[in-house]
Amino acid sequence: MARAGGITNAVNVGIAVQADWENREFISHISLNVRRLFDFLVQFEATTKSKLASLNEKLDTLERRLELLEVQVGTASANPSLFNS
Amino acid sequence: MLFYAVGVGVHCTEFMGIMTASTRLIPRESSNFDEVSMHQSLLFSDSLQDLKNLRTQLYSAAEYFELSYTNDDQKQIVVETLKDYAIKALVNTVDHLGSVSYKVNDILDEKVDEVSGTELRVSCIEQRLRTCQEYIDHEGLIQQSSVINTPKYHKRKGRSPSPSPQTSQKPGVFSFTSTMPKKELDKRSVSPHRFPLLRSGSLSSRPVTPSSRSTTPNSSRPTTPNPSNTRRRYPSEPRKSASMRLHADRENGREVEQYPSKSKRLLKALLSRRKSKKDDMLYTYLDEY
Repeated sequence: MARAGGITNAVNVGIAVQADWENREFISHISLNVRRLFDFLVQFEATTKSKLASLNEKLDTLERRLELLEVQVGTASANPSLFNS
Repeated sequence: MLFYAVGVGVHCTEFMGIMTASTRLIPRESSNFDEVSMHQSLLFSDSLQDLKNLRTQLYSAAEYFELSYTNDDQKQIVVETLKDYAIKALVNTVDHLGSVSYKVNDILDEKVDEVSGTELRVSCIEQRLRTCQEYIDHEGLIQQSSVINTPKYHKRKGRSPSPSPQTSQKPGVFSFTSTMPKKELDKRSVSPHRFPLLRSGSLSSRPVTPSSRSTTPNSSRPTTPNPSNTRRRYPSEPRKSASMRLHADRENGREVEQYPSKSKRLLKALLSRRKSKKDDMLYTYLDEY
C-alpha cells in the first residue's frame, strides 16, 4: 500500500516536472518571439530614422534651391527690361 | 472554470475585435487622389491607435490572469487560457507591427519619390533659368560689342566714305602696313636673304653677322621686301592709298641708300675668293644679279 502511494507520488512529481518543463519551453518560445519582435522594432526604427534623415536633408536642399530660384526669378521679374530685346 | 473561460473569452474577443477593427477596410471608391490619401492616413492613424491601446490591454490581461491564478483552484485551465491568449496577442502584435511598418515604409518611399520628382522639376527650372541667363548675357555681350566696335571702325576708316562690310577687311591690311614697327622694317631691309650665295663663301669674309641671319627666319622671306620687287612695285604704287605710299617711299628710300654699300661689300667678298673653285658660278650669279 505504501509502495503504491510512493509510486503514485513519484508519477505525480514526474508529471508535474514535465508540465513545468513544458511551461518553461512555452515561455522561452514566447520570450524568443518577443525578442525577435523587439529586434525588428529596433531595426525598423534605425531604418526609418535613416530614411527620415535622408528625406529631411533632401527637403532642406530643395528648400534652399527653391529659395535661390525664387530670388533669381524675383530679380529677373524686377527688371523686365532684360526680356525686352 | 466557466467564469475563467468566459472571462478569458471576453478578453480575447475584445482584443481580437480591436485587432481586426483596423483591418476591416470599408470599400470606398474615392474619386480623386486626395480622398484616397486621406483614407489611407485615417487607416494608418487607426492602426497606430490600436497599437497604443494594445499595451494597456496586455497589462490589464496580465493582472486578470494573475488574480485568477492566485484565487482559483483550477490553475491548469487558467494557465492554458493564458497560453492561448499570449500566443494570440503575440501573433496580433506582429501582424499589427508589420502592417504599421509596411505603411510607414510605403509613405516614406512615396515621399522620397515625390521629393525626387520635385528635385527633377527644380533642376529643370534651374536649367531653364541658366539658359535664359546665358541668352541674356550673350545678347548683352553682342550689344556691348556692337556699341564698342562702331567708334573704332570709324576711327580706322576715317578716310573711307562709307563703312561697309566689304571694306571692313581693309583695316586689317592697313594695320599690317601701318602697325609694322620701324625697327622691323629696318631689320628686314638689312636682311641677308637677298644674298644667298654668301653661303658658298667663307664665314670670315661675310660682312653680315651670322646672328642677324639666324634671327631672320626663312618663312619671312615672302614678306621681306626684295629690292627687285620694290623696283617692280613702283609702277603699281598709284593703286595704293596715301598711307601705304608713304610707308613704301620711306622703306624704299632706306633700301636705296643701303643697297650700294652692301653691293660693294658683296663684291669685295666675292673678289677675295676669286681663286676658289666656284668662281665661275659666282660670276655668273653676279652677272645675273
